[in-house]
Amino acid sequence: MFGIRSSSQAVFLSLLLAGRGGHVLRAADETPGAVIYRDHCGRCHGENGEGTADTPEPLIGDRSINQLAAYIDETMPEDDPQAVREEAARNVAEFIHGTFYSPLARDRHRPARVELSRLTIREYLNTLADLFASFRGRGPNADLRRGLRGEYFHGRNFDRKDLVFERIDPRVNFFFGVEGPDPEQFEPNRFAIRWTGSIVPPETGLYEFVIRTEHSAKLALNTAWYEPPLIDAYVKSGADTEYRASLMLLGGRTYPLRLEFSKANQGVDNKKHEPFTDASITLLWKPPHGDLEPVPERVLIPLDSPQVFVITTPFPPDDKSIGYERGTTLSKEWFSAATVAAGETADYVIDHIEHLANVKRDAPDRADKLRRFAATFAERAFRRPLTDDLRALVIDRPFADAPDLDTALKRSILLVLGSPRFLFRESAAVTDPFATAARLSFGLWDSLPDQSLWEAAVKNQLATPEQVRRQAERMVSDRRTRAKLRDFFFTWLRVDLGPELTKDASFFGDISPGITADLRTSLDLFLDDVVWTSGDFRRLFTDDEVYLSERLGPLYGASLPGETGFRRVRLDNGRRGGVICHPYLLSVFSYSRATSPIHRGVFLARSVLGNVLKPPQEAITPLAPEQHPDLSTRQRVALQTKAVACQSCHMMINPLGFALEDFDAIGRYRTVEQTASGEEENVDATGSYLPREGQEAEFRGGRELAAYLAVSRDAQEAFVQNLFHALTKQPLRAWGGDTLKNLHTSFADAGFDIRRLMVDSMVVASSPPQNAVANVTPAGHSVGNEENQP
Amino acid sequence: MTAASLLSRRAFLRHLGVSSAVLPFLGNLPSLALASSTTAKKRLIIVFSPDGVVKKNFWPTIPGRFMTPGPVRVPVGLPASLQPLDPFRDQLLTLKGVHNKVRGDGDLHMRGIGCLLTGIELFPGNVQGGGDTPAGWASGLSIDQEIRRHLQSQPHSATRFGSLEFGVLVPNRADTWTRMVYTGPNQPVSPIDDPYQMFHKLYGQAKDRESLQSVLDELREDLATVARALPVEDRKILEHHTALVRDFERELATHHETIAHAVPKLEEGVVEQNDQMPKISRMQIELVVSSLAADFTRVATLQYTNSVGQPRFKWLGIDEGQHELSHEPNSNEAAQDKLTRINAWYAGEIAHLATRLAETPEPAGDGSLLDHTTILWTNELGEGNSHSHTDIPFVLLGGGLGFTPGRAVEFGGVPHNRLLLTLAHAMGHTDLSRFGNPDYCGDGPLTGLA
Repeated sequence: MFGIRSSSQAVFLSLLLAGRGGHVLRAADETPGAVIYRDHCGRCHGENGEGTADTPEPLIGDRSINQLAAYIDETMPEDDPQAVREEAARNVAEFIHGTFYSPLARDRHRPARVELSRLTIREYLNTLADLFASFRGRGPNADLRRGLRGEYFHGRNFDRKDLVFERIDPRVNFFFGVEGPDPEQFEPNRFAIRWTGSIVPPETGLYEFVIRTEHSAKLALNTAWYEPPLIDAYVKSGADTEYRASLMLLGGRTYPLRLEFSKANQGVDNKKHEPFTDASITLLWKPPHGDLEPVPERVLIPLDSPQVFVITTPFPPDDKSIGYERGTTLSKEWFSAATVAAGETADYVIDHIEHLANVKRDAPDRADKLRRFAATFAERAFRRPLTDDLRALVIDRPFADAPDLDTALKRSILLVLGSPRFLFRESAAVTDPFATAARLSFGLWDSLPDQSLWEAAVKNQLATPEQVRRQAERMVSDRRTRAKLRDFFFTWLRVDLGPELTKDASFFGDISPGITADLRTSLDLFLDDVVWTSGDFRRLFTDDEVYLSERLGPLYGASLPGETGFRRVRLDNGRRGGVICHPYLLSVFSYSRATSPIHRGVFLARSVLGNVLKPPQEAITPLAPEQHPDLSTRQRVALQTKAVACQSCHMMINPLGFALEDFDAIGRYRTVEQTASGEEENVDATGSYLPREGQEAEFRGGRELAAYLAVSRDAQEAFVQNLFHALTKQPLRAWGGDTLKNLHTSFADAGFDIRRLMVDSMVVASSPPQNAVANVTPAGHSVGNEENQP
Repeated sequence: MTAASLLSRRAFLRHLGVSSAVLPFLGNLPSLALASSTTAKKRLIIVFSPDGVVKKNFWPTIPGRFMTPGPVRVPVGLPASLQPLDPFRDQLLTLKGVHNKVRGDGDLHMRGIGCLLTGIELFPGNVQGGGDTPAGWASGLSIDQEIRRHLQSQPHSATRFGSLEFGVLVPNRADTWTRMVYTGPNQPVSPIDDPYQMFHKLYGQAKDRESLQSVLDELREDLATVARALPVEDRKILEHHTALVRDFERELATHHETIAHAVPKLEEGVVEQNDQMPKISRMQIELVVSSLAADFTRVATLQYTNSVGQPRFKWLGIDEGQHELSHEPNSNEAAQDKLTRINAWYAGEIAHLATRLAETPEPAGDGSLLDHTTILWTNELGEGNSHSHTDIPFVLLGGGLGFTPGRAVEFGGVPHNRLLLTLAHAMGHTDLSRFGNPDYCGDGPLTGLA
């Protein structure tokens, strides 16, 4: 027993020391290899293999110890290869390899740095969508009105002369009966309605659309008038009354929508066989992680939008293991997908070139116009103006070599989309205004700079923090920032994958997919409200109101008279506190019947309070309630985690999770809990948290816990760091050890305004990180800079 | 035609092109190795032309061989509408007395095309025809799709596409008159009437690969320039990228040979307009032939316009639309003459298709493609002005299905479902005992063809 403990203590001690900076201790226990390195190698390679003026290349690579030893044996030192041989070569190889040469060693010693990354999938999709939008415009950014424009015609077609009236319909969900919309103005069997406007999907993903009608209908969504509609139910046939189609939509963009409905026989104009039947039409959707429902008013606007280009090529998912998507690794699958996507994009360009370049097929100046288009396309894709060399490479060469103009254009597009200038984000070493513009746009939008940013870069108006701030403030209100922030919140709250709720029906009744979808929407509306009406981070924890739909009302004990749709309701006499008391999160972090203080506690400790927790040493199955039928959930969790090995983490996890015990497994407020034996126990929802600095805090119940989180420095800092990472996809520490503290200070000074925090974060991210080298110009924009290495 | 169809030529391209673009670049090429199966390949091409025929100028007057019997064989003259098929008289079979007996909702044109390959009623619906009750889509799948399903279920006959649906000037609207092929009840298939779109579907991947190959030098050059200007840590990921480009290039090189089969060259810039019909027809025929040669499919349909089709054969000196002419009574000699010449034009396209098939050697086999391919030419009506569903034109040309060609056969009024069954059986789908409405399947496949 004693022996085991002492050895584990030794390991702990050594890790601790390594963490404090191994090189400081090196002299004390100098290995033979270290001595040899100091005596024979350091004068050229530098003390830590960083290189010297004569030998500037750092001593890094991926040879194995054996390979390295053989190489040193043969060749090193250069002036006297005999000096270090065999045993000595091996010793020094081990030292070099383990200290700074190998990737692992480098990783251990590496300070946080901004890494060169490829575009993430999201960035890739958004960038191409917005690149095309830069040629044909974007949809409306402000939604003053919601719903769709409905034009009602007497007659079976959509002739202007037959228009009876126009109005805004909040949604398309109509039952007209046999008579039609108005017996005074329409023949019962002869009317047609056209709804137009745009749809604003809240997030990126696959959306299914459904039309239900007994009559003729067509849905055009993100298609031009001359393209086939998404759903063509012009022909009514047999008993079919439901028509479905799916398509990928990107969040933060608006898509043109046109729905045509006609009650009448189509084909030959002959009323003889027109039956007097009911007429109804409903436009439904199933958003990603959602349930089928009539497309709600909040995502419809009665204004037109241009088409959006959405790549359909599937990509392998990005690495999200550290809490945000990042593109720091490449794979064959990714490369292959990017190549196919480039082909898809090039085809799209060729198909739509008449509109994009505003040129007719037989126009005499077609060659000029296509060339100009290709150049503009290239500089927008590269996020900077073309130099003469680059223009020669990606424009002149394809246009000179290809057999015809279409092929030339296609080759140019393929070249641009295959170039690292498009595929990779700006290196930290590049600090000119165009790089700043791109950092801002990718930070806030996951996309390329817009016209205004571009112009600012051209005029060198992104040089000072104030100039950057002004742009960021403008950009924050864009729809694309909302979409990005929404995605951040769902990731931060660990519900980005749309977890299914499996709940015990004998306990809670049927928790249908519709209820799950409403709970998710409820959270979405809450977040949207907090961020975009007040912006105050603390309200994420202090608001005691919950958005409820008709389906949710009865479940959470609220009566919802009157209007339909979601509305804010103060529940349980103010015992709720923001997101952590939101029924969706409480349900997600629960089992089918019992709560899970551990899941809730881990979520709070990690996501909300920013603590690092190690995974358990071994996989542990939770104790089944039936094994200890008399214990409450709290008592059972305490029993299971009482071992010393568990307590190092669970002493933090459990008291946080326990504080939410006044909410059951679907997030209903409770004061008693029924144990497996059927006894009713009073709930003990006391909890505590020991912050990184200061006194241990104690609280009773979710409301008090939430109030604590709102003012907890740990929670605030964790939020600052999480948001910064989500925006920049780079480690905050790369901008220096004080950055977190400084950002937190300005966050607090601004009344914890989340929008302001985004702006501040972007100002930081636009400043050079620690590993940036000033004044490196990007490739192709001047001579290469071999000497500018760190 | 309208600007809409002009634009749609390219627009449609994207819509269907997507599916092929989605496929990974490599490893999805048609496997030519599949060709070496023990059983000889069988192929079927169904060609549709609209609005009935002039019976007296279409059907051979005497059933039997197109040669007089006896030691000195003298060719029996083919009727005027079939004249262009004369060079193939030995491989020709005309099947008279096969009726479309399917009834139910829909006018005769709708049922004519909608029940032609399905052999089953249309659903009631909202499409009102020139008479009768309104109808919707066919309530069953078409025989080409039934055969496709069978072929795709067997490894030795499965192909990249299973079936291909070609069209020539099919109007840009989906309704009962414009759809002949169905994958199931209420599941009409849109024929691709834009040769460029079809080309993209067939060869888009190969073409994309070619385009990529042509820019690889520039790509590498660019990568090197970018990498040179970056700090050494940042170069790592670009080196990985460069390695991926290198791998990709190697794979392109190894795959190059397998795509070397003749990709047809299409004339550029042919727009979808009435007057371009002859050109579009020839382009589609080239693509039919090349996709059979590449074994992309064993089943193809080629639909000229639509039921009630209204092409104007100005290149034959005929200004009226075909449907309009087809309503003229038999006493209108001028109209009869024009319709006869119109059908002879279609026969000429069939003959051209047969010629191209005959000129193309059967890959990894004996003889020509035509020896292993049967063309079925048909129509939604027996006669235009009477809108009759009796004596539906069924003309077979080619080989491989085991029929005895070179003759005219008179069936005396059998339901066409039995012919559909015959086709399935001849294509190897011998388990099929009923097709479409079982009431019209009688004694099963037709006898007397072999």
